[in-house]
Amino acid sequence: MNRKNFLSSVLGLGVMGPAFATTQSRHNAKTSSRSTTSTRGAALLPPSPPKVQPLLIPPYLKPGDSIGITCPAGDITLKEIQPAVQQIESWGFHVKVGDTVGKKDFIFGGADAERLADFQQMLSDPSISAILCARGGYGAVHLIDQLDFSPLYQHPKWVIGFSDITVILCHLHTNLNIASIHSKMCNSFPDDWAKAEPVQIASIFSIRQALTGEKMNYTVPPQDHNRLGSAHGQLIGGNLKTIETLAGTHSDIDTAGTILFVEDTGEYLYSIDRMFWHLQRTGKLDRLAGLIVGGFKVKPDDPGEEYGRSLYDIVTERIKPYSFPVCFDFPVGHQKENYALKYGMPHTLDIRTDQVNLLEI
Amino acid sequence: MTIIPPYLNPGDCIAIVCPAGYMSLDRVQTCIDTLLQWGYRVRVGKTVGGPSDNYFSGSDDERLADLQQMLDDPAVNAILCGRGGYGLSRIIDRIDFARFQKNPKWIIGYSDITILHQHIETHFDIATLHSPMAGAFNDGGAETSYVQSLRVALAGQPSGYSCPSHPFNRVGRAAAPLTGGNLTLLAHLAGSSSASDTKGRLLFLEDVGEYLYNIDRMLRQLKRSGRLDRLAGLIVGSFTELKDTQRPFGARVEDIVLDCIREYEYPVCFGFPVGHAIENVALKTNVEYELTVTASGSALTEC
Repeated sequence: MNRKNFLSSVLGLGVMGPAFATTQSRHNAKTSSRSTTSTRGAALLPPSPPKVQPLLIPPYLKPGDSIGITCPAGDITLKEIQPAVQQIESWGFHVKVGDTVGKKDFIFGGADAERLADFQQMLSDPSISAILCARGGYGAVHLIDQLDFSPLYQHPKWVIGFSDITVILCHLHTNLNIASIHSKMCNSFPDDWAKAEPVQIASIFSIRQALTGEKMNYTVPPQDHNRLGSAHGQLIGGNLKTIETLAGTHSDIDTAGTILFVEDTGEYLYSIDRMFWHLQRTGKLDRLAGLIVGGFKVKPDDPGEEYGRSLYDIVTERIKPYSFPVCFDFPVGHQKENYALKYGMPHTLDIRTDQVNLLEI
Repeated sequence: MTIIPPYLNPGDCIAIVCPAGYMSLDRVQTCIDTLLQWGYRVRVGKTVGGPSDNYFSGSDDERLADLQQMLDDPAVNAILCGRGGYGLSRIIDRIDFARFQKNPKWIIGYSDITILHQHIETHFDIATLHSPMAGAFNDGGAETSYVQSLRVALAGQPSGYSCPSHPFNRVGRAAAPLTGGNLTLLAHLAGSSSASDTKGRLLFLEDVGEYLYNIDRMLRQLKRSGRLDRLAGLIVGSFTELKDTQRPFGARVEDIVLDCIREYEYPVCFGFPVGHAIENVALKTNVEYELTVTASGSALTEC
């Protein structure tokens, strides 16, 4: 692996001048379409905060700040989160372990009511600066409509996770326009750091860098299927299947003017194709600024049902009617290389013949 | 007002096409023979047993052209989809329904064909037939009451079905137009222009080969997108070849369904003969039926 991950302060900001003007109009377009979304959602959500609002960036963490660990979806044991707890404490943060860690209700980290109470408590506790979801799995959608996110207006905090946690990240972006962190979770912290691969360690450290306010700046090698170009917009996305299952609900994302990243695992190729068609048919590709295709762990075709098209074929075909830049194999997804992304924050995506750069503005 | 396509008379023509997955001609032969036996003429589209060597029965253009031709041809009175699989998502927005709208005809199928049913219901308010397809005629299937129910429906005789009582049923009675189909596809259509409004309707659901957690997730999507709260009634068909995660999900389909709709009061019928099992009756979508769920059993009768 010769991927390079440069985490540093902004470089070459000068080239972004012209792009910025474009972004302003894109952002306006997004704002107006967002109000349409909120009208649709309003019938379903009685106590709804105002939807059109400026980007809310939670305060970055300083040594001594507290990070809560909770399980809104799948279950995990106290022992299993120890590597994460130790590492986070070594970064100088306090860890508050939620009541759901160690709880188990079949596949869930406790009953719905327990997971709801734990997450709500962390949202409401002003002494907690960030909420790290212990793992994904399935279950966040059981809580999302009952969670009261209004404490975040007084005390914005970072919510951290991916996979099933895409439900929460999308919901927060759409309804509160608050930034969050798409990254590995407790279950990906290695037991033995000495044996962990450098990319895994770098992925874990990128969470700290995101939390402490470093500008995210990722440079990855080019890929033959990439479509060159530059884009500027809010970075949103997540697990593709999860995004599909939010469609039609008030947690659904409005992708106009954004840089969208998608990843998935365990899906058949035909299903991935159907999900990209879903993006198109729900208008999510129409006004996209850029597309980042992360890792896709494809489920092998059943015998006799060979799909005959690769992920690259599927995406290349779907993006043909549009002109936005597209990159493949970006290190985000269910894999060792899964770098922290600041969800909802403005980024530039620069896809060139020699490299791909994703840079937080 | 829902438009009911003309029912079929002896000598009318049924076209068979494959708008999604590939199907060999020999798998369709019994269906062809049976339809002829029923007194209809049969036209076999180019996408049935064509030269395709991949998953689909033809390229998008070929599948679209075949279906389009049958929709447009006034000599075709009904279109039977050979099989489902996957593929309608890729062509639905390119189908021109203008002639079909002027001269409606029965569109027959299920599974992936749910997309056609939902799209036609939403855009044109024309009745369609959720029903067994060509494969169901094989291995003696043509003689079953399920395939025969298609014959009855095509001939214009009102249909009525009953099923035994089920411990999870919620008793009640409701008369309303039918809508529904494959749960995965109803979820997939959410947010698109093909998604139907379920308000005041009898919704029927079925699925195959899905994980229990995913059934839960899709039902919650329907609920969160406002498509379970104002139903007239819910009809739960078969959920076959279910998969479970390594660590069990811990709930059956019945538990999942009832948990999702516990705050609503409409009648619910479980175990209805619709789905990917042999038990799959022809249902006229968009047509009014009366659902009666009592302690002794359920009935669904065309009004």
